[in-house]
Amino acid sequence: MTATVDDAVARGRELGVALSDDELRRIAEHLERVPTATELFAFDAQWSEHCSYKSSREHLKKLPTEGPSVLLGVGEDAGIVRLGEWNGETYGIVVAHESHNHPSQVVPFEGAATGIGGIVRDVLCMGAEVIGIADPLRFGRLENEHCRYVAQQVVDGIAAYGNAIGVPNVGGDVFFDESFDDNVLVNVVALGLVKEKDIIHSRAPAGSVGWDIVLVGKATDRSGFGGASFSSLTLDEEDADQNKGAVQVPDPFLKNVIMRASYAVFAALRAEKIVAGFKDLGAGGLAGCSAELCAAGGMGAEVELDRVSTAQPELPPEVIAIGETQERLCWIVPTSFTPTLLSIYNEMYSLPRVARGACAAIIGKVTETGRYVAKHRGETVMDVDLEFLTGGVRYSRPYVLPVVEVEARELRRSLYHDAARNDYSRFEALSAILGHRDVCSRAPIYRRYDGVVRGCTAIPPGFADAGVLVPIPGASLGVALGVGGNPRYGKIDPARAAELAVIEAIAQVTAVGAVPAGLTDCLNFGDPTIPEQMGAFVAAVDGLTRASRQLGVPFVSGNVSLYNRSSSGNSVAPSPIVSCIGTLPDVSRSTTGRLRRPDSKLAFVGVLPRTAALGGSVYAELRGIRSRTLPEIDYQMFLAACEYVREGIARGVILGARDVSDGGLLAAAAEMAFAADSPIGFAFEEDCGLINHGEYGSASWFGEHVGYVIEVGKDEAVRAIADRDVPYYEFGWTIGEPFAERYDDGGALNERVLLADLREAWEAPLRAFYGASTGPSTSSG
Amino acid sequence: MTGTVAVLVFPGTNSEDETLRAVRAVGLEGELVHWSQPEKLARFDAYILPGGFAYEDRIRAGAVAAHDALMDPVIEAAQAGKYVLGICNGAQILAEAGLVPGTGPLRRPTAAFAPNASGRFQSVHVHVRLAVDPGRVPILAGIEPGAVIPAWASHGDGRLAAPEAELARIERDGHLAFVYCDRDGNPVAAPNGSALSCAGLVNAEGNVLAVMPHPERDAWTFQHLDATRDAVRGNTEETLAPSGGIVFFEAFARAVLAEAIA
Repeated sequence: MTATVDDAVARGRELGVALSDDELRRIAEHLERVPTATELFAFDAQWSEHCSYKSSREHLKKLPTEGPSVLLGVGEDAGIVRLGEWNGETYGIVVAHESHNHPSQVVPFEGAATGIGGIVRDVLCMGAEVIGIADPLRFGRLENEHCRYVAQQVVDGIAAYGNAIGVPNVGGDVFFDESFDDNVLVNVVALGLVKEKDIIHSRAPAGSVGWDIVLVGKATDRSGFGGASFSSLTLDEEDADQNKGAVQVPDPFLKNVIMRASYAVFAALRAEKIVAGFKDLGAGGLAGCSAELCAAGGMGAEVELDRVSTAQPELPPEVIAIGETQERLCWIVPTSFTPTLLSIYNEMYSLPRVARGACAAIIGKVTETGRYVAKHRGETVMDVDLEFLTGGVRYSRPYVLPVVEVEARELRRSLYHDAARNDYSRFEALSAILGHRDVCSRAPIYRRYDGVVRGCTAIPPGFADAGVLVPIPGASLGVALGVGGNPRYGKIDPARAAELAVIEAIAQVTAVGAVPAGLTDCLNFGDPTIPEQMGAFVAAVDGLTRASRQLGVPFVSGNVSLYNRSSSGNSVAPSPIVSCIGTLPDVSRSTTGRLRRPDSKLAFVGVLPRTAALGGSVYAELRGIRSRTLPEIDYQMFLAACEYVREGIARGVILGARDVSDGGLLAAAAEMAFAADSPIGFAFEEDCGLINHGEYGSASWFGEHVGYVIEVGKDEAVRAIADRDVPYYEFGWTIGEPFAERYDDGGALNERVLLADLREAWEAPLRAFYGASTGPSTSSG
Repeated sequence: MTGTVAVLVFPGTNSEDETLRAVRAVGLEGELVHWSQPEKLARFDAYILPGGFAYEDRIRAGAVAAHDALMDPVIEAAQAGKYVLGICNGAQILAEAGLVPGTGPLRRPTAAFAPNASGRFQSVHVHVRLAVDPGRVPILAGIEPGAVIPAWASHGDGRLAAPEAELARIERDGHLAFVYCDRDGNPVAAPNGSALSCAGLVNAEGNVLAVMPHPERDAWTFQHLDATRDAVRGNTEETLAPSGGIVFFEAFARAVLAEAIA
């Protein structure tokens, strides 16, 4: 036995798998023999961090995952929240959230494109129509040439793939930070629409022994071999070329057809009232996917690798079994339905004509053995216990929680006071904030994406904090998608950054009038074997848990991406990125985030800060204020503000709203003015009393408070909206001229700038980088 | 006869559902006809080629689809005087098929929708204005002179390109069906650098029309990005009702129905 174990370790090292010696020993001891190459690569993928969540799982189980809005919780390829009833049917919104960080660093165009390809399959395989995508992106500094290349190519890849498959891109965000210089973060969220009764599960159904296992999609090739374990390694510049082979090759054209063919299969299954199993091939390839399908149903599988359509001759069995060639899915269907399934893909949608070697083909059978057996040219190349393979491994990694210092009031005062000494005017500050890389207009990016294909988009990017879709033709039900997460906060305090990410995502959907129904997260962190980097992850999960519980919105799906560090050992800024799915019972009662008419009131509704908190703010960075005090959180006050905003929007009293976040109050007001349909400006009075005056003035206007800027009609009795006290502060009003104006305590006009000048500061930075778009701007439409 | 319309689906088409929705909303009998069903095509009163990336835009946008056998019955129908409408990728296909401006032989394009001046795909909201005498476009029967239609220009290849002489002919002979404009109909620079600020081409007979922007993506009140949606806030029915770009399809329906009855 010892000899076997040693041979297994030697074999693993020789093949270059990422499994540890310990893990190789466990496998050999379990099998009581030296594993085959196919088996080693299968374990390598299934036991990778990417597939097994081996370092993160014990922490993730703390997250609240239940609630009345949850139709299907964590555990399958995607979660599902309740959208509402229409024509006697219950509809759900499928939501999945993934990262494609490592591939996007190495081959950014393909990495970002296949990120969409993968997440779309996660949603599709729940039996859903894919209705929307969004990309939270974290790029390195644009001063760095390689970062510029990555930032261009990632956007190109997203555009190329998303536009071609015809799924609208309705949101996302972008930050630039040096911690992403060596390790870009490319997250992607996808949404789907499904009737509750038509949900398809990623498991072999009960009684499916003897059913066919059918592989659908692109011919298997060498691309993407070792992808799962690759994404669980740290990126080393020297290996860049070698790693490129681990990235898959996208084919959005084929995916477009596979999606439509799969919708036709869904219809055929409904017509024949058949329950099938369906799953996307992602990490771990064919073996990983079919193994998980059968394991989830308590079954076994016998697979003939020779029946897999391959793009190249003489592919070794481990590549056929484990390679992560894109655009593939796996069905488990009763043999009586197989001819229908094959004819839809191969004849009606003629996959073989669309891409060479693409097809649907029977590749195996479901068995009752609980084992995964794969054969290649008559030889058994894999024979393992499914539970052992897919049960994975668990680690309790040692961790050190980050120490977050509490800044004494005196220190903060002196920090802010220093900055105030060479004060510049409010509008100089506002202009600098609007031109900051993390605040400036994202239009040059989102105009490259089709945000309106499918004809269901009610609010495309740029008009509000959240994108809004009306996915069921004829029904008033709406879906809002918001995204939150700020790397500057993550660097200071991962736990609080996580809480603020949840708050921001919820605030975005609330600002259009939606009810938050579910959350998803993608947790992008460093190396879990380094206790400090693991500690940042643990702290963030605690933060997510606290916010989710306090605000009563559960997590329905998520993803963890670890090892986001470069060879120099630096981790990315701890980046818990959260998205929120909001639902609107009646889209006619939603609103946008743009100014609507002159002489309205502008108010802040949210957590009224008791003290100045500029830590992590854009303003602090611009002024060199080294404060570490993050925006104040008060869940009760925030909840009251959310309810107030939602009700005010539903009643039509609130004309428009935005979440404050990056840049602060005035930046939010300015963005509302930029999005206006006609020239409407805004004015504010310096003595608004949001925070005590004096040296904290800048913290009032540029602090990134938790809450909203709202426009309220001038004759509305604001406090009558809700029967309770709301944390509400009026700070200004709208004007019928294209200016921004500042009045002093005495009511005298003190400073005035052209909106067009502010707008230019806001639009210029990314326009220069991503290319000008000529012609009418979206906001004039 | 009720006016039957085939909405063609090539491999890579992606706007068939919303196009079909618009067709049905104006009282036509629409049906998706898939690339594997060419035998179905002959029996329709009219044809629409919707947006997308047929055959992955290989060679040039629309070029491969224009040579697809699926187009044979459509070309025949066009020559027989039936109405054929192409939107976005459909417009590119009609140009590549030589049906618009229709000044040369079939499948030997005299003008094409070439890559945008920016070199990139761009999705921006626009308005387009009818630039010819409505009598020149029977496919949009009864459309008002100078009608302004809201739409989304979501394409990578929407810039009309042709030799000078051909551009002159397009303008002179009334092939320039739509131009880009602001919401009041005033001319604006084309977002894609299109020659003549062209947003749409029509053939000499006025039965084949190609438009680059998508009116079907701004054809319902909830899709509008201006005060017209705000004006019906809180009114569910009005918000979900067709409006805006739907006038384009209403005009198309009048033409198809008139023809179907005649």
